[in-house]
Amino acid sequence: MRRTARLLTGTALAVATAGLAAAPAFGDATGSLEVYPSTVTPGGQVTVNTKACGAGSALGDAGAVGAGTFTLAPSAHEGDAIGQFRVPPSAQPGTYEIVAKCAEGDRQVAGDLMVTLMAAHEQVQPRGSVKTGVGGALGRDPVQTAAGVSALAVAAAGGTWLLHRRARGDGI
Amino acid sequence: MRRIGDTAIAAVTVVALGSGVWLLGGTAGTHAPPQPSAAEGRPEAAEERLTAPALPPSPPTRIRIPGIRVNAPLMGLGLTKSGSLDVPPASNKNLAGWYEAGTAPGEPGTAIVAGHVDNTEGPAVFYDLGALKRGATVEVDRKDGGVAVFTVDAVEVYQARDFPDEKVYGAAKRPELRVITCGGGYSKTTGYQGNVVVFAHLTGSR
Repeated sequence: MRRTARLLTGTALAVATAGLAAAPAFGDATGSLEVYPSTVTPGGQVTVNTKACGAGSALGDAGAVGAGTFTLAPSAHEGDAIGQFRVPPSAQPGTYEIVAKCAEGDRQVAGDLMVTLMAAHEQVQPRGSVKTGVGGALGRDPVQTAAGVSALAVAAAGGTWLLHRRARGDGI
Repeated sequence: MRRIGDTAIAAVTVVALGSGVWLLGGTAGTHAPPQPSAAEGRPEAAEERLTAPALPPSPPTRIRIPGIRVNAPLMGLGLTKSGSLDVPPASNKNLAGWYEAGTAPGEPGTAIVAGHVDNTEGPAVFYDLGALKRGATVEVDRKDGGVAVFTVDAVEVYQARDFPDEKVYGAAKRPELRVITCGGGYSKTTGYQGNVVVFAHLTGSR
C-alpha cells in the first residue's frame, strides 16, 4: 500500500514536472515566438522576438518559407532575443511555422507567419476623424466660478438697494 | 451728494453684473488645448530634412515628444465598426496607441499614432500636440531595442465632417508618421469638432 502511494506520488510529480517544462512551449507571453508583421508579402522583412531564452541568443529557422536560418540576438528591451529575416520574393502564399532554438538549453519556440500577395496594411486603412477627447480639459476653474458668483451677489445687492431707493420715491 | 452715491452704486452694480456673467457664462479662462497656426502647415518639400534609411519592421513600445514633454507607452489599436481608428481607454491619461494592422513606425509607409487630448478629469497625453512646431522631434522606441527619430513636417487641424483620409492615412513610400488627437473647436453637444494631425518623416535612428 505504502509502495503504491509512493509510486503514485512519484508519477504525479513526474507529470507535474513535465507539465511545467512543457508549459512555456504553449505560447504564453514568455514562451512564444512573436512574429511581426504576422502577415507579409513576398520579399518583405520580418522581425521575430522571444523572451524564452532569458538573456541568451537563439538560432532562428525560417526554412519553411525558404528564408533559411538566422540569429536572434539578445536586446536591451525586456530581455527579448530579436532576429530578422527576409521572405524570398518567390515565396508562395500560405502559413509557415518559424522556429527559434535557444543557444543555451534545448528550449524551442515557434510562431506562425502568413504570406499573402497583398500587404495587410494596404488592405484596410482607417477613415475619418478620431474620437480622442471629451472636453474635460475645458472645465471651469473653481476660483473663477466663486469670483463670478460673488460678482453677481454684489450686483444683486446693488440692484436691490437702487430699487428700494426708487420705491421710496427718492428718484435716481 | 446722494445722487453721486447712487450713481456710484449703479455703476458698481452694472460692472459686477457684467463681470459675473462674463466669469460664469462666457468662455473666459477655459483651458482649451492649443491649436496649430497656419504657419505650421506643410512647407515646400525642398525645405524638409532628408529621409533616413528605413528600419526593419518592429512594433513600437513608447512615444516621446521632448518639445511638449510627452513620454508615454503605446498600445495596439484596431478599427471601430465604422472604420475609424479606435482609441486607447480614456481613463489612462498617459497612454497613446498605434494602428497595429498598419505600418510600424520606422518602416516604409504611413505609421499612425493616436492619443487623447483630454478625458473627463482634464488634460491627457496629447493635450499640447497642437503647440508642436515644424522641425520638432518625435521619437518612437521599438521592440527591437532601436529608436526611430522623426522630424515634424507640418501640424494641421481638420474638421471631422471634411476629414482628408488619403492625406492623413494614405500610403507613403518613405517612413512617415502621423500623430493624431482631438481638436478644431469644441461644442458642448458634439464635443471636439475635428483632429489635430502631426505629419512627420523618419530622419534618424539609433
